[in-house]
Amino acid sequence: MTKAYSRFLTAFFCLFLGGLLAWHIALPDRAKSETENRTLAQRPAFSWETLKDGSYTEAVEEYFADQFPLRDGWTGLKARSEYLLGKREFNGVYLCGDTLISKVETPDPELVERNLSYIQRLEEMAEVPVTLGLIPSAAEVWKDKLPEGAESWDQTALLTESDIDFQTVLTVHAGQQIFYNTDHHWTTLGAFYGANALLEALGREPFKENNFTPKTASTDFNGTLYSQSGIHWLAPDTMEFWAPEEGLAVTSWKTGKAEEAPLYDTSYLSAKDKYSAFLGGNQPLCVIRNESLPDSAGRLLLIRDSYADSLAPFLAQRFAEVHLLDLRQYRASAARYAAENGIDQIVVLYSVQNFIFERNLVLLTQP
Amino acid sequence: MIFSSLTFLFVYLPLTLAVYFLAPLRWRNLVLLLVSLFFYGWGEPVYILIMFLSIAIDYTHGLLVEKYRADDKKARWFVGQSVIFNLLLLGFFKYWDFLAANLSLLPGISIPLLGIPLPIGISFFTFQTMSYTIDVYRRDAPVQRNIISFGAFVTMFPQLIAGPIVKYKTVAADLERRVHTTENFALGVRRFCVGLAKKVLLANSIGALWDEQLAAQSAGTLSVLGGWMGLLAFGFQIYFDFSGYSDMAIGLGQIFGFRFNENFDYPYLSASVTEFWRRWHMSLTSWFREYLYIPLGGNRGGTAKTLRNILIVWFCTGFWHGASWNFILWGLYFAAWLILEKYVLKSVLVKTPVWLKHLYTLSVVFVGWGIFAIEDLGVCGRYLAACFGGAPLWSGADGFRLRSYAVTFLALLLASTTLGRDGWRKLPDRARKVLTPLLMALSLVLCTAYLVDGSYNPFLYFRF
Repeated sequence: MTKAYSRFLTAFFCLFLGGLLAWHIALPDRAKSETENRTLAQRPAFSWETLKDGSYTEAVEEYFADQFPLRDGWTGLKARSEYLLGKREFNGVYLCGDTLISKVETPDPELVERNLSYIQRLEEMAEVPVTLGLIPSAAEVWKDKLPEGAESWDQTALLTESDIDFQTVLTVHAGQQIFYNTDHHWTTLGAFYGANALLEALGREPFKENNFTPKTASTDFNGTLYSQSGIHWLAPDTMEFWAPEEGLAVTSWKTGKAEEAPLYDTSYLSAKDKYSAFLGGNQPLCVIRNESLPDSAGRLLLIRDSYADSLAPFLAQRFAEVHLLDLRQYRASAARYAAENGIDQIVVLYSVQNFIFERNLVLLTQP
Repeated sequence: MIFSSLTFLFVYLPLTLAVYFLAPLRWRNLVLLLVSLFFYGWGEPVYILIMFLSIAIDYTHGLLVEKYRADDKKARWFVGQSVIFNLLLLGFFKYWDFLAANLSLLPGISIPLLGIPLPIGISFFTFQTMSYTIDVYRRDAPVQRNIISFGAFVTMFPQLIAGPIVKYKTVAADLERRVHTTENFALGVRRFCVGLAKKVLLANSIGALWDEQLAAQSAGTLSVLGGWMGLLAFGFQIYFDFSGYSDMAIGLGQIFGFRFNENFDYPYLSASVTEFWRRWHMSLTSWFREYLYIPLGGNRGGTAKTLRNILIVWFCTGFWHGASWNFILWGLYFAAWLILEKYVLKSVLVKTPVWLKHLYTLSVVFVGWGIFAIEDLGVCGRYLAACFGGAPLWSGADGFRLRSYAVTFLALLLASTTLGRDGWRKLPDRARKVLTPLLMALSLVLCTAYLVDGSYNPFLYFRF
């Protein structure tokens, strides 16, 4: 090796390391990552205490990684090189042509049994009928799209426990865009079929497609699977609003107290988390009142996960009131809530993927 | 701290290099000592005390051995003290819980478990410091009177936590006077980039496949093919992890002007188990040969004594790898094969076709990895039983995994042989000159991407 060439290699190496360090220092810290949809670690405060127990150095490592220059670019580069190597699973997400499908992990069978038994308990306790609705995830409905041999927990046995047959109606329409390509939720079209399955199970009149005029809400939706997989080269999804907002009064307990809220919170459409435009995202309790329907149209209580956010606007067209209760944040008795609010019908509505890992359903057993 | 982390690569290393090379020559051992202590203390700050203790005791014992050299009995006594101290240190931190748990199984004995976290690299640095007093006693190395230089040897961060096990005599001269040249720096940097790529791109990637097969085993869906794929994956993971780390250590050493010995020599090309152990983790095998096997008498005391010595050395080799029965079993498993080769197979192997010898060696080694990788002997037994026909031949998931890892496997195979190295040497000088910085850039960029992604931790409103 000549001296000049050695100098060149040495300089190259040092500049790469030192350059990124300098860039890291010069770059202002970001509070959150839109792509990952989370807050990023900030510069930790030093103390002898935290140094001694090792948490300080750990926090520094986390801070350094979170605030690394071009963070999203690096993760995208990794996903691309993995793709070139022939990988089709990325952090628990399968790349299936132009769509991403979340892998469903094998649950603890005892937890699933217990969750089913909690709903049984609620049925015995509540004064009104309780119906269980389990929504198959894309890995089940779009099984054919998965890479050959790709593993995902078989949902069929659990789906037979569901009183509402989402599986059939979604499978019949599997050729349509019933799930998002970059998000694990069902699309508004999927929710429309879901609403009809639910209405039929409750003996109510289903909708016809021409009851609604779909409006495009966004053509630029990159959902949870986009974030989870690191695959950023698929076309973004289109999100639609179908059910009209007119005549519906929404009360949200998002901040802890009752406040008037929009059915579609369009402020989310300019953020990453666009699915939260439906009812404004996570909240303990939300009530949609249809003022053009008589009280005899009934009051429905949904104990639910986020799949219900895009479903509720449809149901609000048929029920005088739709109450949405989220057990992650609403910790009191659901049975008592139903009794106190004159509920006529309870539906426990979860996607299978959430239901099998859900640890809050025990709250339903409170009298 | 570990080499394959963002904080090491982009904070610790550039700052350390800057401070080291800005410092005057005579301060450089001090700088090396200080930065190494920082490196060691990063994960467990309290354990820096172990370093101080180790330096103080072995330094004094070196001096005492030298002082009482005329009185061999005394000199031996001090060597013994130092060895016992190092073994107690290792024994306490690494083996206490294992010994306590197993002794407590005996009636009437109850020893409490302590659950102390293992000081990182303790198996490596205790062996390194032990070699010092022994080398001084044997006149293989001069005594070190400068405690700073000695401290720099004990704590030297390139090889501190994962080897190679650098014997004192290897670096004794370099500690006193070493040459810092740009060429050494460049060669070191090149070696470091190779090691980094081996660790981050190859070992980490294939490690995921081993985890999947282990999960399949516990879910009861492991197939024969899947079992072997898992063993292959683990064998590649440990080789590229470990040899990659050694490459990085050797490269870093070279940057700072030290010459460490090689630790791996394409072990998977071996045509016998005996040869495998001449090519695998060479610094450990040579340590045991030099400081245990030969002092025990080696093979000079007749068959019975040789057998005893082989069993002792391989029991220790196995146990050194971890405080668990499977490691002991793994060591004895190799002792059995080595003895078999020495006394029975030697004449058979001579007449065996080369390809069969390779197949035989690799089968022994990779089945060995099964014992090494699974601490629970019950699980280990079931896993290996599946590999040998106690499961369906093949499952659909294996096809998916095979497709997912086919390219990676190909790269691992190539990197395990000398094909890449020989091809590289055949290239014209010019081409190598152009390709070197390009490959280094590729290694650095891809490793950075994989390391940043390792911290990729999207919050998913997944459950909702």
